[in-house]
Parts: sequence; structure tokens; C-alpha cells
Amino acid sequence: MSVRTETYEPVDISGHRNNTAISAATETGAGAFNVWRNSFAAEYLPAGGSLVHVEGVPFEFPPVCDGPDNVRCGGQFIRVPEGRYDWIHVLAASERRCEDTVELSFADGSVDTEPLRVSDFWAAPAWFGEVKAFESLVMHYPHHVQRGVPAVMWAQRVPVTRRAGLTGILLPRNVAVHVFAVTLQRTET
Amino acid sequence: MTVDTTTRTYTITGPEPEWWYRDLVSCLQSTFGSVLIREGADPLAVLGAGWRFLHLPGDVRSEEFYYPCPADESGGTDLGAALAPHHELHARWWQPADENDVWREVREALADDRLVIAAVDNYHLPFRPAYGDVHAAHLVVIYGLDETRGVVHVSDAMPPAFRGAVPIEKFLLSWGSANPTDVQDAFFSDSKIGRRCLDVRLDAPAAPLTPELLGGWLRTDVDGFTTAGPARTGLAGYDAFAAELLERCRAGDADVLRELYPFGWAMQAQASLHGELLRRCGREWDDPELAGAGRAVEAVAHAWTGLRFTGAHGLEDPSAAASDIAHHATTLRGAYVRAVAAVGAAAARL
Repeated sequence: MSVRTETYEPVDISGHRNNTAISAATETGAGAFNVWRNSFAAEYLPAGGSLVHVEGVPFEFPPVCDGPDNVRCGGQFIRVPEGRYDWIHVLAASERRCEDTVELSFADGSVDTEPLRVSDFWAAPAWFGEVKAFESLVMHYPHHVQRGVPAVMWAQRVPVTRRAGLTGILLPRNVAVHVFAVTLQRTET
Repeated sequence: MTVDTTTRTYTITGPEPEWWYRDLVSCLQSTFGSVLIREGADPLAVLGAGWRFLHLPGDVRSEEFYYPCPADESGGTDLGAALAPHHELHARWWQPADENDVWREVREALADDRLVIAAVDNYHLPFRPAYGDVHAAHLVVIYGLDETRGVVHVSDAMPPAFRGAVPIEKFLLSWGSANPTDVQDAFFSDSKIGRRCLDVRLDAPAAPLTPELLGGWLRTDVDGFTTAGPARTGLAGYDAFAAELLERCRAGDADVLRELYPFGWAMQAQASLHGELLRRCGREWDDPELAGAGRAVEAVAHAWTGLRFTGAHGLEDPSAAASDIAHHATTLRGAYVRAVAAVGAAAARL
């Protein structure tokens, strides 16, 4: 399956996934999104590896209940197909509301810092104006399924203001921020 | 047959307590918020009015509701004054005086139409996610006691949010819990609950918020950030706190990271409410600079996330987490400096 289109370029982040945030109701202890080992309920989320659209932006949904499903940010450098882009779209969630920065590397050697703002996954509003991409209506605890506490995955975007070829994205050193998928939006010509 | 229940049933008059919640507050602010609403006050205007940094070495307790509260000349503390330094909000901790009648003070408060904030251990409360699983110190609001039916009426705005009856025997277990050390919660266990309660009073109605009034508060708070004092206050106090945090972290001291989480929550919640209030005032008063200052204060709250959670995830190996702790402590320091400058500039025009 490919979500690549004329406008959108999916980014393969599979090599960076280092955290499991989604679990099955039959094995809630397998997930550990946050420090209390809470996790999203798989039954409320798309199938692993499926093509999903959020406000028209296509994402490749990560594996579900099949190993790590997200990148817990620790300064990973994500190489991207060199090109001119206007937006970096992400599916992300945070352990508490958080804002940090990503560093964007360009083919001409320039580097720009841009904000990455992600709202809390825990029963929280979209504080930074994100789109609620997916919502698990229950929260998984290591030993039970908790009703009344939703877990939210947000669709956020980061601007690419420099008119140059983007080559890579350096994620923040911030363990609170989790990235599930990345899609680049090409500059309109 | 006639059954006399009136002397054993106590509840506040009027509607049940309103929930008040923000995603960065703890049960401390949410319970105070419920009390303030009942007093006819706007919780954001009261709890968000003040903004300070205060770290009291050796004082941090492993409780969700920990808040640094300096002792006065008599050695007493006033949690209300610490939370809302610009208002006549006062709160004192108390415990039942009579072991043989632990409900006496609760009955008296409810009969006086006052809410009671009670410390509890989530492990014993059926409506809490940690029920039967994790020990953790928490606060709830008591708004009724029905000894005839054997229930306590409790309100809790923290997700999943609850308002209703809890069996007295369950509540007593929670209220009197030793809250023992629990490996599943390193931050809010290991702190005896001891049937603690808070008596909260707003002794004077909150004055209508005007630019002049807010400006005075902001100038006072900016002075607090930029003037070094004997305690760990302001930017100098933050520097002392951060230096000790880093030093102990490098030395492999996990206790400093256990303390960071509840202490940081207090500072984070305060900054988030203050920032939100300034943004709201900026919008209402058509003052974009004030709104921007509020956003800068919110950035302080958001920077606390990085520091708190780096510490939380670094518990098992503090020395390995030290470089990231240093990184986030520096980032947070920068956020404080920018926010203090922005608030100072906005205050100068109010």
C-alpha cells in the first residue's frame, strides 16, 4: 500500500519506532504510552498499516498490536525524500500538553527550527488547535480497561517556511512527545 | 413506625458541586475550583491571578496535591494564600479531633453549608481508575454525609469525573489509608493520608477584575521573579532549584526525580492558569500584548512537561537522564525569562 500522491509524500518512520502506545483489550499490559503504562485501545483505532485520511491528509497508520507503533521523541533524525514542502503533517500525542521544536535540514545546508505543539492524549482538548484524528473512548491500564477516560491522537502540522529542498527532520529530545505517522505536503507549483 | 434520620444526614443546600477542570491542573486546583464556584467566584480569576516560583527544599511530598506553601511567623501554613496570593482565599489542613467520632467536623461543616476537601487514597475508591490497583494520594470534595444509608457524597472533577455516593466503609479505608509505597506510582504513593481535610474559605468576594487591579498584581509578581530573596523564589530561586536537581541527578539520586514530578505539577498548573487568565483578559480588553504575555506564561507550563516527564521516565537511571534534564531545565529557564519580560512589559501599560 502506498499513500504517495502528487500532493502528499508519506515518510517511512518504521526504523525509528521505539514505543508501544496501542494495546488490545485482551492484553492491556502490552502497551506503555506513558509512565503509568496507559495505552490506546486498539478496537477504537484504524487497522495497522492502513491508509487513513484526516482532514484530507493521508497517513499510513502504524502497526497495531504488532510491535512498536510510535516514535517517542529522543532526538531522532528522520531523512525525507528531498523536495520542496509547505507542511509536515504528523499524527501525534503527548504525555501532558507540550510544545517543543523540530529542526528542519535543507539541501543547501541551512537548518530552521520550527515549533511542534502537541496536546495531551489524556481526556484533553485540542489546546493547540489540532484536529482530533482518532479517539479511544476507553483508556487501557496495565490491569484493566477504564471507561470514561478517552485517549486522543492528534493531527498536527509544522510549517516549512524556507523555500529550499527539505532533506530531514530532527525530532526534539522530549520523551513526552510521541509521533505515530508523518506525511509531507508538497509545495504547490 | 417513625425513623429519625435528620440528625444523621447532612448535605449542602442547593445543587451538587460543579466540576472545574483544566488538563494541566491537579486535584488541588480542581477541588478549590469547585469550592470557589460555590462561593460565587470565578476559579480562573482567583487561582490564575498569581504567578510565582517557589521551591522549598525538603518540603516536597509524594502527593498529587503537593503545593509549596511557606510557613508564616507562627509556623503555620495557609494553602489558600499560597494558591491565590492576591485574594482573601485561606485554607488550613485539619484532622478529626476525636478518633471515636471521625465525622464530627465533617457534619459541622456540612451543617454550616460548607464543602469539605478530603485527602484520599485512590486505591480504595471504586470510581477512581486506580481502584484496587494503585495507591496514590488524591483530593475529593465531600458535599454530603448520610450515616443512615451509610454513604458519603463525593465530587471529583478529575477524569473520569464522578459525583455521587460512596459507601462509608470504602471512604474510611481511603481517607485513613497509609498510602503505602507502590511501585506502580512512584510519585503519589508513600504518603500517609491520615484523614486530612482542608477547610477553605474565601473571606472577601473577589473584586471585579480591571486592568488597573491586574496590573498591580502583575508588577508584584514580576518583582518576585526578578528580586532575589532568602528563599528559592523567582529566577534566582529557579536557578538554585535547577542546579541542585542536576547535581543530584548526575549523582544518581532518584529521590530528586521523584520530587520533581509533584513539585513541577504545582508550578506547571499555576503557570497554565495564569497564562490562560492573561490571554482571556487580553482578549476581553482588546489588549494583544497582554494576551501574548499570557501565551508566554503558558509556554512556561508547556516547558514544564519536558522536564517533569524526562524526570519521570528517568527514575531508573537518573545519571543517564542528566543530560536531558539539563536540556529541559535550560529550556524552561528560557521560557521563564521570556514570560517574565512579556508580563512585565504588559503590566507596565495597565
